[in-house]
Amino acid sequence: MIAGGHDAAAREFPPFSTDACIKCNVCTTVCPVSRVTDAFPGPKYVGPQAQRFRSPSVDDRSPDRTVDLCSGCGICTRACPAGVLIAETNNRARAEIVEQRGTSLRNRLISDTDLLIRLGSNVLAPLANIGLRSRPLRWVGERVLGIHRRGPLAPFSRRTFRGWWRGEQRPSALPAGADPARTVVYFHGCAVNGFEPDLGRDAVAILERNGFTVIVPPQECCGLPFISNGLYDQARRKARRNLSSMAELARAGCRIVGTSTSCTHALKAEYREMLDLVDDDARVVADATWDICELLVDLHDRGELDTDLGPVNEPLPYHPPCQLKSHGIGTPAMDLFALVPGLRAVDSDHDCCGAAGTYGLKKERWQIAQDVGAPLFDKVRASGAARAACDSETCRWQIEQSSGVPTVHPITILAESYRRADADRGRSWRRVV
Amino acid sequence: MPRADVVVIGAGLAGLACAAELASSGASVFLAAKGMAATHWTHGGLDVAGVASARTPREGVGVLAADPAHPYASIAADLEGALAGHLARLAAAGLPMRGALDDPLVPIPTAIGGLRPAAILPAAQGAALDPWDRDGLLLIGFRGYRDAWATYAARNLTATAWPGGPGAVRGVEVELPGLDDLRNLNARSLARLFEEPGWRAPALQAIGNAVPEGSWRLGVPAVLGITAHGDVFAEAERVLGRRVIEVPSLPPSIPGLRLFDALRGSILAAGGRVQVGFDVVEVERQGRRIVAIHTEAASRTLRLAADEFVLATGGIGGEGIRALPDGSLVERVFGLAVEAPPRERWFSDDPLVPHPLEAVGIRTDDSLRPLDAGGEIALDNVRVIGSALAGMHYLEQRCGDGVALASAHAAARRLSLGRAAA
Repeated sequence: MIAGGHDAAAREFPPFSTDACIKCNVCTTVCPVSRVTDAFPGPKYVGPQAQRFRSPSVDDRSPDRTVDLCSGCGICTRACPAGVLIAETNNRARAEIVEQRGTSLRNRLISDTDLLIRLGSNVLAPLANIGLRSRPLRWVGERVLGIHRRGPLAPFSRRTFRGWWRGEQRPSALPAGADPARTVVYFHGCAVNGFEPDLGRDAVAILERNGFTVIVPPQECCGLPFISNGLYDQARRKARRNLSSMAELARAGCRIVGTSTSCTHALKAEYREMLDLVDDDARVVADATWDICELLVDLHDRGELDTDLGPVNEPLPYHPPCQLKSHGIGTPAMDLFALVPGLRAVDSDHDCCGAAGTYGLKKERWQIAQDVGAPLFDKVRASGAARAACDSETCRWQIEQSSGVPTVHPITILAESYRRADADRGRSWRRVV
Repeated sequence: MPRADVVVIGAGLAGLACAAELASSGASVFLAAKGMAATHWTHGGLDVAGVASARTPREGVGVLAADPAHPYASIAADLEGALAGHLARLAAAGLPMRGALDDPLVPIPTAIGGLRPAAILPAAQGAALDPWDRDGLLLIGFRGYRDAWATYAARNLTATAWPGGPGAVRGVEVELPGLDDLRNLNARSLARLFEEPGWRAPALQAIGNAVPEGSWRLGVPAVLGITAHGDVFAEAERVLGRRVIEVPSLPPSIPGLRLFDALRGSILAAGGRVQVGFDVVEVERQGRRIVAIHTEAASRTLRLAADEFVLATGGIGGEGIRALPDGSLVERVFGLAVEAPPRERWFSDDPLVPHPLEAVGIRTDDSLRPLDAGGEIALDNVRVIGSALAGMHYLEQRCGDGVALASAHAAARRLSLGRAAA
């Protein structure tokens, strides 16, 4: 008999796990936020300790407000020797506060990435981007909205990934005769859709090169920004629409693959752990979801990955983002980097970049986020590398802005490597057109 | 996931030491642990065998090894080599230790003002091992830091018979700069403050001002830096002009945290992998061989295949063994047979004097392979190390670290020999 792992009750309702806390304070020693600010008492205090004072049957359902300083990185949960789901418990506690007391317009706005992309990723993008770069406007944004003037915001793309996909008349449903086992539902996420469509094109090209048919069904933001800001109702609406769009495809045997370890973690775990979505749709989608590097390493383990990779001769500091660590799959990007000739990838071995989604954008959190990531930024700068790599978008933008070193998704590096291999052989890179 | 030669399960002292030794011998090693643990709960010294009748750790090991049920009965011979490798590894990581198997066990002060026998300690605690002559012990507390109470500890020590102890024991509480403004103060936040030169200078000044005339050794909470510990400690002794003894306080233990960092760093430097938050939920077996373990993940599990597996998940305290509501005890990873007294003998009037459940664990053969209830080898390619082993009372016998290191070395040595032969 094996007694490992969290039981089903704790996985569906994380606060159940807090009874197992033995008060050892290991979580306090690994928390990146309490490392840099004493305003946050640490995971043990706002988690298992404060949980004893939370109840749906009292007036103040979640009386400890300092839990809102938790960035949600999840490092405490992974370090806990007793198996307490600390970060998940804290996230729910924040949602209780928001449900009971409401939240700011700022938090509602920065959570609604679909809305922001509708407003910004269009022909007016150049104008919007001037606004994002304008110091006076950012100053106004900080004073009026509370978005820090130096918070890392990526420029809008003129055209969304979805717009491009439709323009190319590429499939949004399972094509007739396609083998579901070789079909990938690409979950592009907001970053690719509104800000980094080139990453999406590279991902599609790599998947197709490795024998997959790629389809992009209707989808919305995964809802993670809403979850992180305690706005569970809004998150649930996003989640429900994503589940109804993808559950049938998952049931048919398609895999759902994302290039953002944040979105894929929401699909895999947070719909269940935070949003109480535990029906069959949620389960099949969670089971079918893969991070793209996880999928490619799995292909490689089976001997099915195209390893005709060209040289990328450079040092590459790589930061595994917190959301990736919560997947529990190790660092598949490092395994892929090891296949690229000439690439000298080094794991940052740093806990957190500080951004934590929208956390590092907030006026009152920006300095904390900078302090959390400072050793990482120093490492990236000191490496002398021309660029760095990271799997989650907001982390990428944070590292790039704060270190001054351009930071890309691992897939960007892999696509380049394939491209060089093709060029060396006189072939042109199989473009996605 | 590329397969590894050896998967080590557990990140306490035994698992870390075994993985470090295997990795440095050239094996590909993957260490997977449910969480961090034992290192962060301990004082950072090495308890090898603190039995009352023994004058040195080596004598203590001899006493314990005479009991055929004790782990030392089969691994005592590995202790010498284990210790040499471990101390060299820590020294290379900037964490020098002092003391040896043949050094006398002497009583040293604890954070609450008790005494415990020790012979091998981090260098920063080492001044507690030297004869006191006429030196006094001045315990320093920091106002606002609730995990070390110097005046309370000093009162307890004064009331305790301390053979060969200091001429006098006193406690003093020092106000360190800027702490008044802090809302939460723990060992880690203090340790980080001590790493900032701008804060450290006035802090050491404040401590120095509190030291009365006379010949004192200073017992300071063990928070003198984490990564820059060596420099911080040296500067403290230089500025204060006295010998300093770091006194480990309540968890989280900074000396334990340094130990974890040092061993983890040496595994990574040798090309091994360390993943914390990887709890085993499934195993693949073929007959008496484990083919792979699966660890818990956000959706599908992660499969880790290897030739050999080392189980270093601890006993009941470390949750390597779990007591279920029906009164059964299960080993969490492989479901191995647990050697334990019947349930009606689980209880003891005094929890600290040889508690029956303390000795609960996995019985192995001489090469640390687990045995089933009938005494047959249960799994051929699994070795059990550390406090998962049956037969020791590590609290009373103070042998947990020695057993961890000796069994880790024994397992690593046998696996390396196995690989060389193959």
